[in-house]
Amino acid sequence: MLDYILRRIGLMVLTLFGVSVAIFLLLRIVPGNIADILFDSAGLVDPAEKQQIITDLGLDQPLVTQYVHWIAGLAHGDLGYSYVSEKPVLDEVLPRIPITAKLAGLALLFAVCTGVPFGVISAVRQNSWLDYVLRVISLAALSMPSFWLGLLVLMGFVNWFGILPIYDKAPATWGAAILMFGVPAATVGFRSSALIMRLTRSSMLEVLRQDYVRTARSKGLSEPAVTFIHALRNAVLPVITTIGIETAFLFGGLIVTETVFNIPGVARFLVEAIRWRDYPMVQNLVMFIAIVVVLVNLIVDLAYMFVDPRIRLRA
Amino acid sequence: MMRSRLWLTVACLLATMGTAMAQKKGGTLRVTHRDNPPSASVLEEATISTIMPFMSVFNNLVVFDPASKLNRLDRIVPDLATSWAWSDGDRTLTFQLRDGVKWHDGKPFTSADVKCTWDMLTGKVNGKLRKNPRKTWWFNIKDIVTNGDHEVIFHLNDPQPSIMAMFAGGFSPVYPCHVPANEMRTHPIGTGPFKFAEFKQNESIRLVRNPDYWKPGRPYLDAIEFTIIPNRSTMLLAMVAGKFDLTFTSDLTPELTKSLQEQAPATQCVLQSTGTQGNLLVNRDRAPFDNEQIRKAMVLAIDRKAFSDILSRGTFEIGGANLPPPEGFWGWSKEYMETVPGYGGDVEKSREEGRRIMKSLGYGPDNMMQLKVTTRNIPDYRDAAVILIDHLKSIYIQGELEPLDSSVWYARLARKDFSVAMNVQGTSIDDPDVQFFENYLCGSERNYTSYCNADLEKLFHQQSQMKDIDARRKLVWDIDKTLQADGARPVVFHAKAGTCWWPRVHGINIAMNTIYNHWRFEDVWLDQ
Amino acid sequence: MSEVLYYARRYPLGVIGALILIVFVLTAVFAGVVAPLDPLTTNPRASLAPPSSTYLMGADMMGRDVLSRMIHGARISLAVALGATCIGSGLGAMLGLASGYLGGWFDLIVQRVAEIMQSLPLLVMALVITASLGPSLTNTIIAIAIPLVPNVARVIRANVLSLRELNYVEAARAVGMSQARIALVHVFPNTLAPLIVLATAQLGSTILTEASLSFLGLGVPEPYPSWGRMLSESAAEYMRSAPWLVIFPGLAISLVVFGTNLFGDALRDILDPRQGD
Repeated sequence: MLDYILRRIGLMVLTLFGVSVAIFLLLRIVPGNIADILFDSAGLVDPAEKQQIITDLGLDQPLVTQYVHWIAGLAHGDLGYSYVSEKPVLDEVLPRIPITAKLAGLALLFAVCTGVPFGVISAVRQNSWLDYVLRVISLAALSMPSFWLGLLVLMGFVNWFGILPIYDKAPATWGAAILMFGVPAATVGFRSSALIMRLTRSSMLEVLRQDYVRTARSKGLSEPAVTFIHALRNAVLPVITTIGIETAFLFGGLIVTETVFNIPGVARFLVEAIRWRDYPMVQNLVMFIAIVVVLVNLIVDLAYMFVDPRIRLRA
Repeated sequence: MMRSRLWLTVACLLATMGTAMAQKKGGTLRVTHRDNPPSASVLEEATISTIMPFMSVFNNLVVFDPASKLNRLDRIVPDLATSWAWSDGDRTLTFQLRDGVKWHDGKPFTSADVKCTWDMLTGKVNGKLRKNPRKTWWFNIKDIVTNGDHEVIFHLNDPQPSIMAMFAGGFSPVYPCHVPANEMRTHPIGTGPFKFAEFKQNESIRLVRNPDYWKPGRPYLDAIEFTIIPNRSTMLLAMVAGKFDLTFTSDLTPELTKSLQEQAPATQCVLQSTGTQGNLLVNRDRAPFDNEQIRKAMVLAIDRKAFSDILSRGTFEIGGANLPPPEGFWGWSKEYMETVPGYGGDVEKSREEGRRIMKSLGYGPDNMMQLKVTTRNIPDYRDAAVILIDHLKSIYIQGELEPLDSSVWYARLARKDFSVAMNVQGTSIDDPDVQFFENYLCGSERNYTSYCNADLEKLFHQQSQMKDIDARRKLVWDIDKTLQADGARPVVFHAKAGTCWWPRVHGINIAMNTIYNHWRFEDVWLDQ
Repeated sequence: MSEVLYYARRYPLGVIGALILIVFVLTAVFAGVVAPLDPLTTNPRASLAPPSSTYLMGADMMGRDVLSRMIHGARISLAVALGATCIGSGLGAMLGLASGYLGGWFDLIVQRVAEIMQSLPLLVMALVITASLGPSLTNTIIAIAIPLVPNVARVIRANVLSLRELNYVEAARAVGMSQARIALVHVFPNTLAPLIVLATAQLGSTILTEASLSFLGLGVPEPYPSWGRMLSESAAEYMRSAPWLVIFPGLAISLVVFGTNLFGDALRDILDPRQGD
């Protein structure tokens, strides 16, 4: 067990090293660097001034030197300075993480709270009209571009309620605060909810067909109790799986949703940083994302072993 | 009779009450912002993204009268300079400076700060500014001398009345000598009505009242907060829902302005000239465009009115290099414009002529000329380029759009690595010196098409030194006519855009001929 | 034929999906014939024209017919979906086959690289790749295809591993067949079913990714009338005064992705019941 965890952690470090090299190289084949972008806003400027910026930022040094410099800094917790804001990367990124984390957490919560019950209902009422409706809705949820959904939701709110649930640093009321996070979270979580619903439904169906449920039923346990106690326990697995798969997907959804709802989180920040060719910012943000994804995967695998002892044996 | 007099009295009373009620203190003005400003340093940037939020941190030597609707040479009023005088055959300009003004960090403002600011701008002192985009403006400054703490003297090479316009523009604030340049980019210090409080990248900018502002009783607002919303549909909805008091200047196309007013009829909107113009760049060094005939045919294919109709429901102005009246001061009058070739109005006739030229060169419906229309990959540019391609089809030219990332776009223009390009460029001051010296001087960095006409260049300098505004305007018209007739850089449209605010905002006065001024916010107050 | 009918009756939703896809593909292929107007011609008088008999789905800012642009846009969506899926699945299948069959250090490297790629969300990777390659149709396809590779490679590899141990493969080996031949003739055909299922499942997500990239301003550039592009920037700004600009392209995307999902589900149940969720 401990062996397995240690091995996983070792692989994780290797993976992250690979990510760092890949992202570093990818960013350097980009035509045009930060110096060009900075000069964009000013039109055309003296080539000598531009050369000065390139030297100042160390962009004229060999790639290996730049890479080593970055990684050595990372090891000391020094993420470097943003080219654009000239502030430490850490100062820019840290305050944004809780915002995105809150959004992602709420989105997952929404997904679980809607996905599991509807999945159960759908399975229990298999092939009924309700089942069909729920399945079609869930498929539709998987088919909509999330920014489109976000735009429609915003438009609907303004049209019908005259309010706009976009980000506000200091929301006036509790209601406003809940709306401000709840609506975008539901928009992002809609997709994951559909996925969880589908997985819950199919695993429930499998369980319901199995013998021990029949036994429980014959022992005289009432129908709802059977369904919920026995079957739901087995639904935990698909939910965990989904969380593992969805962290990566969720992030994509967060990028566009943060843009639409104007939420100053890390996801939207990444897009802006890419646009500005702010290398220190982009590479550290991407590393951060990779670390989160890898960690979540590790935790999911461990949770799996905890929930389902059979897997422990295989491991 | 009695009755009307009564009404008059009531009206007067109401008016006095109105003023008495007016100008409440306090409150936070909430403004939308279109994108992340590259930095807070006004001197180093050339974008409205920096000017609008940070202009109120600073003061200039002089400013265009904030109460005037037009920024003009004869409407310049004191700011940090209390008065100014020309001497020595208009080659010396002396400013008397205001006493008792303090920087936001408490240090006194003196003539040394003025000298040091313009020494940086003229390039005499290097290394303080990372970028200096308007160096060309100050080519005429020979040297700067201070006389005590409150007098500064500029010596010019030649007389240049327009230099006052450049001093008065929002891009020319006085910087403090004692603050390092990188701090000015992240935490600017000025003498202005508002102090810099916070700039969160891609999120918000916050300014707070400067309690020690030298102008008594100003500013009225406690704070100004800009929220960066790059997505314009979100911004529009937020404005409609009343989350903001004021939109970022010129952020709304004429169509969007109309749409906002339909959705929120109480809002007030002003369409103003943005100082940006769309122009066609044809590389005259590259075959086959070195052939004057082809360049002429391309100009004939352009339907300027269609550009204006599509991009702005007909609100964009048509003119030469200088902004046309009524917004612009130096552009052609309508009657004069009629005399300029290509501005006659009958597009079909022009295009017929264009087709004739192309046919004589061997092109035709079955043998279209293939070319790439290069443009910058942002909507303003792309939309115009799409229309251009559509128009070129009428003279047997099959264009393919080549959208370039911003960074690549400027690099390619500088290298003259393009055949035909659609350009949209801004000029921050409605002034012929700025226009001609920046864009049409032989060898100037922004002279992208390498147009060079030595005779015309003499006239550039001649108009620059003229004191009589009306005579100068006549000469400017003629120069502009030559530029358009030569196809130096055919100007397609002068853009306009809208700025809107809720009626609770008072004291905003938009200049019709620029977006880069009147953002000091010291006269703005909120009725809450 | 009777087999098709049998499945059609058992999977009515799959049939609906297939029909949607057929219409989509036909529209894309015959766009030039079907579209009522030229998708690129601008018209000042039709700027933001609401739906009418001339402009069935209205016109955009530049007075271009929305319906015609959507019909031509189907080509772009199809090109991106097919291109990215084929490249991604093809590469993934090759790598998976080789890595599963060869094993050893090659397998180890492929596995590590796949892991590295999988630790980045699809959209993040596509964003970084398009930003570094620049916006164009080809680059968009590449940017969406590359993140698909590791997923496919892993599934195919797992399949190959289980196939390798099967009797007939062992037999072929005993007879002295060359490794390459065994891999291609005996193992590969058996991975086809899961490959097709996987590829179909990814068609939808490629279309959605293209739309997201375009929305963020990094997708297929003008003048190509891609659906994602139609939804982005200027279109969305007019969503209240000209909702047809936002609603129709969004519906088109959702409908086609819905179709691929329905079809993909049915296909999976038929071809590869074990993969069912």
